[in-house]
Amino acid sequence: MKTLTMKMAIAATASFLAMSAGAWAGEVVWWTPNFNEARARQLVEKFQAANPEVKVKLEITTTDGLPQRILTALQSGAAPDVIDVQHGWVNGYAQNDLVLPLDDVLTQREDYIPAALEYNTWDGKLWGIPYRIETHAIIINRGDFKAAGLDPDNPPTTWDAFTEAAKKLTTNGKSGFAITGGGEVGNTIFRSLPFMWMLGGGIISDDGKQVLVNSPESIKAVTFYTDFFKNGLSPSSTLENDGTANRRLFIAGTVSMYQSGQFDIQSIRQENPNIDIGVIPVPHPEGGKTAAILGGWSFVVPSAAKNPDEAKKLIAFLAEAENQAALTDTFPARISAMDAERFNDPILKVFKEMLPFGRPVPAHPNWVQISQAYFDGIQRILLGDENVKDAMDGAAAEIEGLL
Amino acid sequence: MQKQSAGYLFVLPALMVLGMLIAYPIAYTGLLSVTDNAGNFVGLNNFRRILAARATPTAFWNTLWWVFGSIIFQVVLGVLTAVLLNQNFRGRALVRSVTLVPWVVPGIVAATTWAWMLHTEFGIINYMLTAPGVIDRPVGWLTNGNTVMPVMIAINIWKMFPFVAIMVLAGLQSISNDLYEAARIDGASFWEEVWYVMLPQVRSVIVAVTLLLVIWALNHITIIYAITRGGPANRTLITPIQIFRTAFESVQFGQAAALSVMFFAVAIVIVFVYIKTLASNPEESR
Repeated sequence: MKTLTMKMAIAATASFLAMSAGAWAGEVVWWTPNFNEARARQLVEKFQAANPEVKVKLEITTTDGLPQRILTALQSGAAPDVIDVQHGWVNGYAQNDLVLPLDDVLTQREDYIPAALEYNTWDGKLWGIPYRIETHAIIINRGDFKAAGLDPDNPPTTWDAFTEAAKKLTTNGKSGFAITGGGEVGNTIFRSLPFMWMLGGGIISDDGKQVLVNSPESIKAVTFYTDFFKNGLSPSSTLENDGTANRRLFIAGTVSMYQSGQFDIQSIRQENPNIDIGVIPVPHPEGGKTAAILGGWSFVVPSAAKNPDEAKKLIAFLAEAENQAALTDTFPARISAMDAERFNDPILKVFKEMLPFGRPVPAHPNWVQISQAYFDGIQRILLGDENVKDAMDGAAAEIEGLL
Repeated sequence: MQKQSAGYLFVLPALMVLGMLIAYPIAYTGLLSVTDNAGNFVGLNNFRRILAARATPTAFWNTLWWVFGSIIFQVVLGVLTAVLLNQNFRGRALVRSVTLVPWVVPGIVAATTWAWMLHTEFGIINYMLTAPGVIDRPVGWLTNGNTVMPVMIAINIWKMFPFVAIMVLAGLQSISNDLYEAARIDGASFWEEVWYVMLPQVRSVIVAVTLLLVIWALNHITIIYAITRGGPANRTLITPIQIFRTAFESVQFGQAAALSVMFFAVAIVIVFVYIKTLASNPEESR
């Protein structure tokens, strides 16, 4: 890889020399995903008005295949100046020296949700500026609740009560609570790992030194999660369903409850306005606290950026509370930005309440393989190949070799 | 002698291009397989780690199933179709073009379409089976451990048999009419014509096509990756997909290269044995 890096560096220098004739000093190339496009353009205009000497060139990315595309750009050296990336990716970039530390850009550290900064920290430095955060909650069909004799305004809060409610909702071909068991690995990690956390379990420990996936707490949580399918409360297609498929089933009216973020609300309202949508917190074990994975997006400046100083200027501007509030699709990473009018929609209330329970996923260089090993175990349980204990012991044996 | 070296000079550019395109990637993969992500020499560590992975033996057996299941039906179905299309009947041109459709459809389009058709809740296949009461409840084609691999193989057969059919048909049409006439004078039935005239005459075509199919099936990614990504629980994980996932999802290029090297060796052996046993023409070897 060293020689490869060398070669890439040479190639990058060559292409840089070739391109620098065209790209003039002070131009900042900013990669942002398509869902940000309209708002990003407005912010760029505002920034240009205040900083006429810096020219911002917006390039729109799509989330499908984005990690690979960014990694290629970062490693080839032909990178833009600012990239929007998911929190979870930042650590990998930092560990491989692909991005620049941004401690000098961050002002008012105490105004940020701590978990969001934690995500972007490695080796005591901050490598990304978080601007968007979100967690899951449970989206429910209030109509189904009433039909089943449940009170949607007084929803179940504990695991036992939640399972009972799911049982009551499972009638006439409807499934009470849809879990995921297919699609990209991340779908199932986001939906099942918080249950392990609630009991003090997990996949690996936060310091990445210990395997927790087959601890009694984790096994109890995985049993709770997979039992929704085993007991017929989750659709028979669970093994091929990801978050999007669950939303589609909810829209079609065949699922009464599922886990997701606030980004789903809009499309449910659009595609099936007849559904009376409610949002409830993720249930917790008796006497425990709820938990969720904190997701979201950060800005990074690649080490290969041509104009890092101007890039930092742009990020500092975007990190101002008012601008963060404007750009984010879900919630802003700054507490003061949360005051903006658009976050007062009552349907967002529960999502907002879930934020303090949001935790980052453990940062480990082999996290992709670790989560894959865990996910394979979940699928073996859902397929009926193995019981929970055997499947998690198998996953633990695999993960042990990856730490 | 003088002439010969001039000849070498003329093929040199072509050889260099070939060398760049074939030898370099192979050599580089070999190099990657004994280095870690930082470029340090690690000996056979990558081989050890990837062989220890739980998925590796699973993927190996799945690959065997996938290749043999696909090939047998592709060839049989393809040859039968070719024989059928070689007959004279009304609308033959139309049937010939329709047969080609699966082969022409881009793999990723076909895979996505099949994934939706086979979906447990929304799929048209389950709808068609449940509506008239053939089965009571929808079948999880892609989620049942026993059906998912056969379904993948069926899609691959559907996708590839037209290719076999069209190649064999081309061979059939080059058979001289004299042979049929001679067979008929001897009182051969239709099936005897197929067995003693058609098949021996297109033998070399079938051998070449089968070899191509084996190579394609061994290197296959599109259909399975687009539909199941190798899941559920690695039931459809075949070695090429494992290599892809190791390299591009887990970013373990060394281990992926190690697996590629071993896979390359196995593939070479299979192809070599195949050519030795099946492809050698008994007439020529005498």
